[in-house]
Amino acid sequence: MIGSFRKKGLAAASAVIAVAGLALTSVPAQASVPGVTANSVKLGITVPMTGIAAPGYSKVAPAMKAYFDYVNANGGINGRKIQLVIEDDRYLPQEAVIKTNKLILRDKVFAIVGALGTANNLAINSRVRLGARGVPSLFVNTGFSGFADKKKFPTIFPLFSSYAMEAKIMGNYIKENFAGKKIGLIVQNDDFGVDALKGFAASGVKFDETIKYVSGTQSPATALTWVQKLVAAKIEVVYLFGVTTATAAAVGVAAQAGYRPQWIFGSVGADATTIQTATTVPVALLNGAISASFMPDAADTSDEYVKFFREVNAEYNKGVTFDNNVLVGMNGGMMVANALKAAGRNLTREGLMAAIESKGSTFASAALVPLAYSSTSRVGYTGYWIGKYNATGSLLPIEAKNVVYTTDSGNGPVVKTTTKRPALPPKGLPQ
Amino acid sequence: MKRTFKAIAVGFTSAALVALSLVVVPTAANANTPVCATVGGIKSCQGRTSDGAVYALQAPLNFNGTAFLYSKGYRPMISIPGRSDVANSSLAEQAPGPDAATKVAVATYLLSKGYGVFSSGFSKAGWNTDSALKTNVELIGIWKKEFPNTKKIVAWGESGGGFMTQALAENHSNLIDAAVPLCMVGGSVEAALKMAGDALWGIKTFFDPTIKGGGYSAGTAGVVEQLTDIGKIAAALTSLSGAVATGAWPATATAVPAAVKAAVPSRSAVTLVGQMAGLPNISANIDGVTGPGDPASLPHAQFVLGAAPAIATLQNMQDAAILGVLLVADLEGINGGRVFDNTKTDYEVQLGDAKAIYNLALSGNDAADQLLGVLKAAPRETADPAALTKLRAMVSHKGVINVPTIAMTAPFESTTPGGHVQWLINANKANLEKAKTAAVAAIRAGKPRPSTTNNLMVIWNFPPDKYTTFTSAGLPDTTRPAANGTKHCNYTAAQLTAMAEIGALAAATGKLPNTAQARILMRKAGGLSFDRDFEAALLKFYANE
Repeated sequence: MIGSFRKKGLAAASAVIAVAGLALTSVPAQASVPGVTANSVKLGITVPMTGIAAPGYSKVAPAMKAYFDYVNANGGINGRKIQLVIEDDRYLPQEAVIKTNKLILRDKVFAIVGALGTANNLAINSRVRLGARGVPSLFVNTGFSGFADKKKFPTIFPLFSSYAMEAKIMGNYIKENFAGKKIGLIVQNDDFGVDALKGFAASGVKFDETIKYVSGTQSPATALTWVQKLVAAKIEVVYLFGVTTATAAAVGVAAQAGYRPQWIFGSVGADATTIQTATTVPVALLNGAISASFMPDAADTSDEYVKFFREVNAEYNKGVTFDNNVLVGMNGGMMVANALKAAGRNLTREGLMAAIESKGSTFASAALVPLAYSSTSRVGYTGYWIGKYNATGSLLPIEAKNVVYTTDSGNGPVVKTTTKRPALPPKGLPQ
Repeated sequence: MKRTFKAIAVGFTSAALVALSLVVVPTAANANTPVCATVGGIKSCQGRTSDGAVYALQAPLNFNGTAFLYSKGYRPMISIPGRSDVANSSLAEQAPGPDAATKVAVATYLLSKGYGVFSSGFSKAGWNTDSALKTNVELIGIWKKEFPNTKKIVAWGESGGGFMTQALAENHSNLIDAAVPLCMVGGSVEAALKMAGDALWGIKTFFDPTIKGGGYSAGTAGVVEQLTDIGKIAAALTSLSGAVATGAWPATATAVPAAVKAAVPSRSAVTLVGQMAGLPNISANIDGVTGPGDPASLPHAQFVLGAAPAIATLQNMQDAAILGVLLVADLEGINGGRVFDNTKTDYEVQLGDAKAIYNLALSGNDAADQLLGVLKAAPRETADPAALTKLRAMVSHKGVINVPTIAMTAPFESTTPGGHVQWLINANKANLEKAKTAAVAAIRAGKPRPSTTNNLMVIWNFPPDKYTTFTSAGLPDTTRPAANGTKHCNYTAAQLTAMAEIGALAAATGKLPNTAQARILMRKAGGLSFDRDFEAALLKFYANE
């Protein structure tokens, strides 16, 4: 009897050990998390460092790295230094797929951060299959609202306010401020444009002339056909919701033709620095144009975040002119640092994503609009403020007291928000 | 020493060549009574299995006890002038390779290392897995009888032969010790039929509605119909290849409204067909990232984003559409009726994110929508329910890994892209999860614990990142040999022998080789990668499940 009991006891003990062993195999130890060591965490980013979209966008990743260098110089996050591997995707989806695979397989990065471009992010998601592999892709540099679909993009966290939000807010603005005027729209004929059209439809704004162009075909020659149509239709207000090269082409050709409508530019296509560096069009042509942004203007040194990031740029990104792209890169870096901090010392990919869902809406960052992350929302920033360009390409608030509007990417209302942006944390480091 | 090795190698080569060039089947040979001869240190036998399949057995006199059973891939039921000869389809081929020289090199290597090699030409061509499985089972018995000192059998095969290899491992795991499916069809033939069928139907709808595409007649009339279809496909693709720059539509594109043809270039329809069918976006000569001229220029970007996807699709489509004709006709013949059915297929869903990713190649959303409208309005293919039921009763995989299995595939190859193996990976993962749950339950119940060991290793054959070159006229050079990692089963001899060595290691130990061992062999071969975390895009057949 004793023997039998002992045998049963041993068997039971073995079973417990074996079951425990099986259970343990499904919970990876800290050391087994890709890209994470006791004192470092490795991240990867794909951006156009060369190629047609490099002017402007090539500044984003080095700026993010500069902020990480600053963080590392101040002890890192939770005792870990942040390494950023930058890969040049030349703004080509296939190149982005190749480079992202390398980041995951060769460099063993913990997460992808700040990947740039709607098409590139779509290609990365479907061809590299980030969701199936459980690889987080944080704070993508695109405003395509579709990335907030958690079911379809389970590991992607958008950051930018969506194009749909922008179009809805600006649609309302047009209705209120240009009633009775003939309104025209130039829009990109892809998901970027679809998002905008969705937002315009939600606002109820009507366009008297809509011109669609295919990304990659914009040039002074095609812009001339746009201008001819707009002139023929007697359009007084033109909303160009496209990329910077389209903006430059349209503005340049219109100026030559003596056509001077009230221009309104989408936030993507109106970066003055990019127009200055990538085109031959004088920035002064933007003077008086209306646009929208969720970030403070890079020239606004009265903004504490801008002032701080300028200091970081001067020390850790030497020789690089501070502009909106640098600001976006550093702000993305700050968001990543926030997320790593919130995820805690025991860093896992699942834990990182859970931390953004639970605490992301309170992260400190430079944007002037609230964040909306939650367990049921992957939406990042949720609104825009409206401004007017001056002759030097700075976007200044259109109203004396800057008003920030928030909304969603669907049919929700546009409201003026009273939410205060979190103050810059001490030393600009996540708390 | 070197001279000796060289002499042996020459002898082996000659012997292998002799076996590989077996065409005349000895009329006196019966099942289990092979005719054998020893030449140059190699014992070579030939004969017929009970179902009439020609077979060849070869082992060196210093046979090390491990033999490789090779299953060749799909061989068409009909002769296609200039492409392959049905007369050759009855040949026993001893080793994998994209051409005869590589096959000889691989077989020669194995023999020189003391391994045995054996195979059959199978009793019939076409999609023959159901009968080939029986042939292989019998052939293993014949081999073991002839070479009783055999200790281990490694089954390997390419394409359809990879499908057979996995089927053999699932259904007769007691007969083999390791499996090495190469560029395999995974899951069921219906998955391959869907990709090829969608491509074929797309070509028919957009570029030549007189292509039959299904419902082929029996006998000689059917052969004529297939060859006619293949000729029409070739003509359409040739016309389209010459019109990438202009966007002109072939004169045979009579089902596309004139307004659509005026607004949308033909290259966009080509890209759409490729993407909706799930063809890779890179091909033999198009890497998807290289363009002509200054990389920072607009023309460079316009080529890469606008023209390259169409050119790559045209290169891949040739294989896919011709396979579509052959497979549709073959499976219709086997199952007694039409088997391809796209009555419920939503090609917009299948196009998915490609609409945004290849937006310039598709000429924008509006153009893509116009093309999708043409597809929506076009008559669909309807399968015969009884034939479809029979098709689905044919041998298929369960995704069970019974023996150490090392699969090799190129994620972006033209005919059996990585989605086939991804299906196997996913099925294996699901089975392992079930096994773990069962193991926990068994342990708690005091019962023997079932195995929860992963026995599947997948080796990926990636193409180089960049390989597109341009002529002096600035056009992509499509005359160069296909880059490794593109086309179908386009492996080098070094890659194939590395796979054989990894398979032999697995057979010897009864488990997967450790990754360090595998990596050493892969590094020597080049172009191979063992990335546990890589995920290939699923085929549309599985993605829609």
